Amino acid sequence: MLFRRIYQFLIVYCLGLTCLLAIKYGAGLSNYVIPGLTLIFDTAHRMLAGYFLDVLNTLSVTVLGQMISIFMAFFVGIIGRKSSWAGSFIKVMAYNIQAYPIVALAPIIFILMGDGFLSRLLIASMICYFPLLLSVLGIMASPIKDIEHFYIATGRMRWQLEVKIRAFENLNKLTTVIAGSATLAMAGTIVAEFIAADQGIGYSIRIALYQSDLACILVALFSIGIIISVYQGILETVGEQMKTKWFAPKGGDLL
Amino acid sequence: MRFECRGLTFTYPEADKPVLENLNFSMAAPGFNAVFGPSGVGKTSFARILAGGSSGPGGDALIYEGISTILYSYNQERLPGWADTGSHLEKVCPPENSDLRKELVKIFKVDALLGSRFSQLSMGQQNRMNLIRYLIQDFDLLILDESLANVDEALRETIVLAVKELFPDKLFLYISHNLMEVARFCKDILVLSHPGKSKGAVVVRGRNYETGYTADPQAIDRSMLEIMNAV
Repeated sequence: MLFRRIYQFLIVYCLGLTCLLAIKYGAGLSNYVIPGLTLIFDTAHRMLAGYFLDVLNTLSVTVLGQMISIFMAFFVGIIGRKSSWAGSFIKVMAYNIQAYPIVALAPIIFILMGDGFLSRLLIASMICYFPLLLSVLGIMASPIKDIEHFYIATGRMRWQLEVKIRAFENLNKLTTVIAGSATLAMAGTIVAEFIAADQGIGYSIRIALYQSDLACILVALFSIGIIISVYQGILETVGEQMKTKWFAPKGGDLL
Repeated sequence: MRFECRGLTFTYPEADKPVLENLNFSMAAPGFNAVFGPSGVGKTSFARILAGGSSGPGGDALIYEGISTILYSYNQERLPGWADTGSHLEKVCPPENSDLRKELVKIFKVDALLGSRFSQLSMGQQNRMNLIRYLIQDFDLLILDESLANVDEALRETIVLAVKELFPDKLFLYISHNLMEVARFCKDILVLSHPGKSKGAVVVRGRNYETGYTADPQAIDRSMLEIMNAV
């Protein structure tokens, strides 16, 4: 899982780089517009270690932001799963807010909270929170009738059991959504750093952008890609292990 | 113990025709009764209306006497997959029914399957396991909607006879498409036909065989003919 993620990224990255180089040599562009391979390798040699540290800094905010989002999405999703007034209100609100580009709110957050850790964290959480919430709401609001019937009929149904049944039956969907939301959280953090922050890979990309240094940007993208692939791979592996532990341990399911 | 149905009519929202129309019958005393009829006649709808009790849809037409707990089991139910079936049975078993659970597990021949997850069982094994967890609950009326589907005939007979013997004071409504089985083992058989046919619902007497019975082929044939004529 982990290695598949990494080599998939490497294939996509190499394809993108090949396209850029094809444009460069096809249109006869200078190194200032699109750097050559030698310049990219040279930049990588100088900057890669620093960029990896910057990405790790960004990743720490991403992970924290994603955890907050997951917790909030489950909290609100569990409350909003009922077809009560509150549940319907939460669902309608989530669908409407989801339709709004949250990243556009970033300047307001920076005006109110200034640069720094909290602003980055808040934007990262907000960006991955709403897609997560919609998935969790969808899963939690869909009854698994053929399992739940017995517990309802015999008066044994409790909200904890209901949530457990629905989460278990949709474990594949949940792990996919959580692994996918890592990218969103990372994007949110980078955007936050890009707009106004003094650390993280987004900040480094902003500096490279102001210097029109495409080689630095390409190296930064490489380090982001590798680290997010590893992070997603770890999330998927954890999800797989949970499934293996929870699902039939001996002999597997009946074919 | 008695329940009666007085002019029960039920139409699904947005449907043109009622699925059940002016159903009148009554079943008194405990026993192993059946609901029989061709596919699509409304057996499951009827069972779900009954399971809803007086407060459910169509509840105005239902009169229950001495029946307070109604359970409805059907053949596509599943047990959660996070633990083995034995743990699930243990967890949902009232402490006073612990011995009954052990006895049913033996009769239903699922003792070797208690360590398996539900998804690892065959359909017949799943249905047996599901039925056990209903039988160990406290109930007055248990509706078995194809609850023994995919179970072989010999074992089905063993199970039905054991249920009749172990629960003489409970009322059962067994929904099945097996004409022979219904005619042999059920006491009252409610035969449903499609709405619009003048017959409506007819209650036919089955042979109601108990453990150690001696089959009377002619009597069984008569019951089966009666049922088929009522459809």
